This record gives sequence, structure tokens and C-alpha cells, in this order.
Amino acid sequence: MLGLAKGLKYTLKQLSREKVTYDYPNEPLPLPDRFRGIQKFYPEKCIVCNQCANICPTDCIQLTGKKHPDPTKKGKIIDTYDINFEICILCDLCTEVCPTEAIVMTNNFELAEYSRDMLFKNLEYLDENDDNVRQVNKA
Amino acid sequence: MIQEMLQSSPGWFNFIFFFIFGLVLLLVVLGFVTYSILAERKVMGYIQLRHGPNQLGGRFGLLQTVADVLKLLLKEDIIPKMADRPMFILAPVIAFAPSFMVLATIPFTDRFQFADLGVGLLYYVAVSGLTVFGILLGGWASNNKYSLLGGARATAQMISYEIPLVMSVLGVILLSGSLNLNDIVHAQKHGWFILLQPIGFIVFLIASTAELSRTPFDLPESESELVAGYHTEYTGFRWAFFMLAEYVYLFAMTALITILFFGGWMAPFGFLDFIPGAVWFSLKFCVILFLYLWFRSTFPRMRADKLMEFAWKILMPVALANIMLTAIIKSLFF
Amino acid sequence: MIKTEEMMLNVGPQHPSTHGVFRLVVKLDGEIITEAQPVIGYLHRGTEKLAENLQYTQIIPYTDRMDYLSAMTNNYVICHAVETMMGIEIPERADFLRVIAMELGRVASHLVWWGTYLLDLGATSPFIYAFREREMIINMLNELSGGRLTFNYMRVGGVKWDAPEGWIQKVKEFIPYMREQLAGYHSLVTGNEIFLNRVKGIGQYTKEDALQYSLSGVNLRCTGVKWDLRKDEPYSIYNRFDFDVPVQESGDAWARYQCRMAEIEESLKILEQAAEQFPEEGEILAKVPKIIKAPKGEAFVRIESPRGEIGCYIYSDGKKEPYRLKFRRPSFYNLQILPKLLKGENIANMIAILGAIDIVLGEVDG
Ligand code: SF4
Ligand code: SF4
Repeated sequence: MLGLAKGLKYTLKQLSREKVTYDYPNEPLPLPDRFRGIQKFYPEKCIVCNQCANICPTDCIQLTGKKHPDPTKKGKIIDTYDINFEICILCDLCTEVCPTEAIVMTNNFELAEYSRDMLFKNLEYLDENDDNVRQVNKA
Repeated sequence: MIQEMLQSSPGWFNFIFFFIFGLVLLLVVLGFVTYSILAERKVMGYIQLRHGPNQLGGRFGLLQTVADVLKLLLKEDIIPKMADRPMFILAPVIAFAPSFMVLATIPFTDRFQFADLGVGLLYYVAVSGLTVFGILLGGWASNNKYSLLGGARATAQMISYEIPLVMSVLGVILLSGSLNLNDIVHAQKHGWFILLQPIGFIVFLIASTAELSRTPFDLPESESELVAGYHTEYTGFRWAFFMLAEYVYLFAMTALITILFFGGWMAPFGFLDFIPGAVWFSLKFCVILFLYLWFRSTFPRMRADKLMEFAWKILMPVALANIMLTAIIKSLFF
Repeated sequence: MIKTEEMMLNVGPQHPSTHGVFRLVVKLDGEIITEAQPVIGYLHRGTEKLAENLQYTQIIPYTDRMDYLSAMTNNYVICHAVETMMGIEIPERADFLRVIAMELGRVASHLVWWGTYLLDLGATSPFIYAFREREMIINMLNELSGGRLTFNYMRVGGVKWDAPEGWIQKVKEFIPYMREQLAGYHSLVTGNEIFLNRVKGIGQYTKEDALQYSLSGVNLRCTGVKWDLRKDEPYSIYNRFDFDVPVQESGDAWARYQCRMAEIEESLKILEQAAEQFPEEGEILAKVPKIIKAPKGEAFVRIESPRGEIGCYIYSDGKKEPYRLKFRRPSFYNLQILPKLLKGENIANMIAILGAIDIVLGEVDG
């Protein structure tokens, strides 16, 4: 009986304690800077080195480059860049290898869509996804 | 007035009159059920550091249960193909009807009572025992193994705990000398029976928790073992009937405890008499209700194989000893 | 004697208390189990086969998803295996960060176990209390690694991120808070007679059984075998810390409960010391080649995860990818004893026994 009474006392004390729930979605979740969310892509920074597509463990990045329009410049610029968020596991490896930080993580994580096709995000979407971008990208 | 009506010859007027009265009580009880569910969710929420319902109907979620009930009514009614159809349909009704019938005999205040039966207490216990049939039937008719196990458990549990339940109130009956609930309340003019019958009260509280199959005795519908027990296959308003029965019993049992051990509608001290009985009744009622909710959010479930043992080997002897003790006290001091 | 018909009951794969998609086919006589047959594989993702086509760094996020309640230890075991093969020295600071992260993960994992176990036994509140504390740990690990569940924090040769500003201080502050809460847990549950009644003498097995079934972790220690890899085969920097290995003798669910609760305390001790001795500065990643290639050969390492011994075997033929990768997943081995324990028990005890083993289905199914 003593154990039961102790338990009752404990729960009674909790009655007045501070609530621990988040008021999501009314208030955005507090997330640290390092949080890994939907990527932001800077097309102008990308040098089409393909490293991100190679490191991706789930093969969800598809990119194509084209010749630089300015014939005096060498190298390529990005033409299309798609991430398939059906299989992206937001593991951070693509942003880790990118030499120019053309692809970085943001704190946005709301990916719910009505159709699976909508999860196929292209260059424009990733470019426009420019709020809550991660400040520090490399350790 | 009702007493006269009961004794007068039957007629259409009487029928309509009683029908309307019954309807009013039903609505009152439904209102109570709505808000006791909300209270349960709120209290549990607060104990568990959550807010509980707080979206619909203002900050306190006052319309949440209403919306839930509406949803249940609108839900598709599924009857499993292999279920025993007539029984499946009948079971919730059988479970619910007695729970409402017992309310007739409960004196909420000195005037607000439907039937002042001479054997009110006995009537309560006898009629409430009928619900078990509904539950067993529901468990059986669903043709689901979890339901069957839940129904069997419920039956075994309710029948065995009924005995200590009745035994524990025998002390109260001895002291008041009556089975009539009004008389029992009047007998507590000079002191609540909880003071004279502490052991009886504890046994009654435990046995009533088991009767209501609430935590720690919620084995018949233990969601972590039997999914939902006897009402696993029920949906929509049929399921709502089972839930309703459960909460109406909670209402009735809480009211009964108030009457048996806490002096019903009477003020604890004479000089507080100016406050109406209804207020006293609801105050006491709320405290006891909170007790049940508090238990629910604190305790784990009893062990199934120790359940029967507990009823027969511990509660029964204690209740019997309590009767002996009461008899001795009564013959010595009263 | 009344002869009754045996009933076959499918518990799971969708059942509230099987902790995921675990299925148990039980034969019942009344409520008594006469035979139990676990059916697993609903969550099989072929991690080991996938790994044969992945570079070592790419495998790390996959290990997060095995034992998703303590992803840090999984991260560690694969990194540790590759490091052992390549003979890499880990910088001290990285080692400290790894240990702190792993021990925080262990506390979080045991908290989840505590909460869900009580939920299985029908008490609803402990779940929320446990998750309140776990949320704090998860938030800390989120700050550290950027993930709440799948951390992908460790790398071959070190860790990905250094501790952010003030993070060690947070860990330090968390320790006394957690101790206080733990005392609260004990007053809520540990002394509760109903609870004691439910776990004492349930799912009992002997030392010999435990060894024969190759149980590890708490499931082994509850029978009196003092075997903890952090002590007996120290890896990383565990030999620098002073902590005990809690053991119990009786081998029942109650012993397992006590062991786990005591382990939380021991982990807090380790955390306290690690946070105290945390080096002011230093590298967090050793010098490793850009493309990691394990030399030809094989290696097997094992460490102590919250659930038991997690092992990793790598056979490499010198390429970027392993030729064969195998994980010894403790939940899978611990689950083996279940059919034996369930015989002759009733359904309510079945849940209590299954819960006390503490399985994570991601790990069982691989
Ligand atoms: S986060 Fe991981 S899975 Fe997603 S695109 Fe980048 S590398 Fe691929
Ligand atoms: S790694 Fe960076 S620069 Fe290279 S292709 Fe990917 S996004 Fe462009």
C-alpha cells in the first residue's frame, strides 16, 4: 500500500507542473542550426562536379550540366538538379562533400504532399527554398 | 409525486409522463458523460504534462466530446461477416440498458429521485449485474479471439468482484438498518459512514473499480494485450453504446459511493445547511470522480492470474471480517 | 477434466504491444500459451546486402536505422570496425564526443524502454514522463548532430561535428536533473505493489540458459553474469571512467527492470566524468584518406549497445566497398529465448515477458 500511496503522491505533484508539449503547428518547432531539413541549392555556385550525386547513399540526386554560355569561361554550369524526396533520407552527406557549398541544409522539414509525384523536387524549388538556411555547414 | 404516480392505475398520461422524465434524465446523464470524458482527458492530460483537448470549444476543449460523439454517429457501421448478426446487434443494448436502469433508484437530493425503492441498494447491485451478459455476448458474437478473451475475462472479473462489493456494504446496511438509499443517507446525519466503515469503504472502492473495469482492473479491455477486449470489432454508435454504458456506470457508482459513505446530499455540518443539497452532492461526487481518474493515471494493470485470487482470498475475508466487526460495534455501542 | 480446444492467436504484426511489426503465433489453451512461434522479417531492409554496394561512409546512415533507439552505438560499431582494419588513431576529443553521445543514447534508450514497458503493463503516465526526459536528450543530440533519431554523427576517424558552444555545459546540467527525475520514477513505479506483482518471477531463466541462447546485455546480466564489454573488453576510452556493471541474480523481469534502471545511473556517472574531463580543444577527425578503403582482410569488433552486444564483421578485398558486412544484432539474438519463456504463461504475462526483453524491430529484422 505504501508504494501505491507514493505513486499517487508523485502523480498529484505532476498536476501543477509545467506542460511539456509543443504547440506545433501553431508555433514552429525550435530547431538547432545543425538540423537537417530540405536542401537549399545555389545554382550559381555549383560546378557540376557530381560529388553529391556520387556520395548519396540512396541515389536520389539527379543532375545534368551544360557548357558555360560564356565561351571565355571554362567548366560547366548546372542545367537540371532534382532530388527525389521519396527516398532522400536527409543524411547530410551531399552537403558534406560539396566543395563549393552549392547545396546546403535548411531547417524546413514539412514535406507532406498529396501525391508522390510532388515529392520530386527540381532546381527551382530547391533554389527558392531559401529560409532558415543553415549558417555553419562545415565543422 | 412520483411515488403517487407509481401507485396509481396505469394510463396514457402516466406513460407519457414517465417517458418525458426518463428522457430528461437521459439527457442529463448524457451531459454528464460528455463532460466526465472531458474531465478524464483533462485530468489525465494534466497529470501527464499535456494539455488534453484544447482545440474545439475554446481553451478547455468544451466541445471536444460532442464532436467525438458526432463522429461516432456518422461513422460507417461495420458488422464483421462471420459475426453472429442478431447477437452482435443486441449486445450493446443489453450492456447499456441496465446501466441506465440503476439510475432510477439513486437519490440525488432529498427530492430528486425517481423511484424510492425499499430495497434500492439490492436493486442497484442486481440490475448492474446484467451488463455482464451484454459484454459476454458482444465478445462472443464478434467472432474475434481477442473479443472472446476480453468477454470471458470481463465476466469472470465482474462476477467475482460483485461478491466483495455487496459484502462490503453489508456493514453500512447493518448500521443504518435499511436497504433503502434514502434511509441510508438519513442515517448519516451525525457522521458519514466512511468514518464508521473505513475498511468497508476501501473494499468497496477496490471492488467498484473492478466492477467498472477501470485501471488497475481494466483487464477486460486492456489495450496493450487484447487490443480492445470485447469491443474490438465494434465501430460507430454500437461502440459508443459500450462506452456510454461504461461511463454511465461510472456516474452511478460515484453517486452510490457518495450516498453510501459520504452522506449523499447532506451538508457535513449542520450550520452549512443553507447550501442546497444538490451542491453538496455534486461536490462530493466530483471528489470521488477525481479519485477514479487519479487512480487511472497512476497505476499499472493487475496481473490476470492474480485477479481472482485477490478477490476471493483477500477482499472476501476482509469484507467478512468487516461485517463481524460492525456487528460487534453495533451491538456494543448503538 | 474438461477438454478444451486449442486456439491459434495471431499476435501482431499489428498489435499495440509488439513494439513494431513483430508477429507472434501463439497456441492457446484458454488463456494459457502452449506454444509460441515468433515470425519476423516484416521490417527487413537488407542492410547487409545493400552495404556491399556502398562506400563505408555511405553505410553509416543505414546503421542509424537498425537500432533506431540508440543510433549512436550503431554508428560507432561500423566506424570502429573500419578504423580497426585501417589502424586509425582517433583524436581524444572525438573519442570523448563519441562516448558522451553514446551514453546519452543509452540513457534515452533505457528511458524509452521504461516508458513503453509500463505502458505495456497498463500504466499510461510513466510513458510521458520518460519521454519528457528523452526529449531533452534528443534535443541535445539534435544540437550536436542535426538529427533527432537518425544522427549520422560519426565518421571513420572521428565525428562530423564538434560540440557546439555551451553544449558540454548542458550535458553537465542534465545529469543532476536526470538523477532527480530517476528518484521520482522509483517512487512512482519501483515500489508499486501492483507492478512488483506483475514482474516478479515472470520470464525467469537461468545463467546456463542465458549463455546457451547467446543472450547479451541486460538479458544476460540479470542472471548474475557480470559481462559488460565496456568493462571487459574496453573500447574507445571507457577504461578511463569509473563505473559499475549492475547485475542481478534472479533472472526474471524484475531483475531486468532493476538492471536497466541501475544502468541509467551508471551511464550518468560516465557522462559526469566524461563531461568533466572533456579536453579543451583538439581535433575531431583523424587524418583519413578522402576515399576510405579498408585493406584486404577481415575484422570483427563488438561493443555494448543498450540492448546487448552489437558486433560488426567486415570482410574487405581492398575496395571502397566491403565485400561482406555482417552485424551481430543483439535484439535478434535476445529474442530467441522468447518461445521457451512463453510456454505455460498466460497472455498478460506474454506482454510483460516480451517487453522485458527489450527488442527493437529495426534491429531484429536487419
Ligand atoms: S541528404 Fe543524403 S539522401 Fe538526401 S540527397 Fe543528400 S546525400 Fe542523398
Ligand atoms: S557537389 Fe556541389 S558543386 Fe558538385 S555537383 Fe553537387 S551541388 Fe554541384
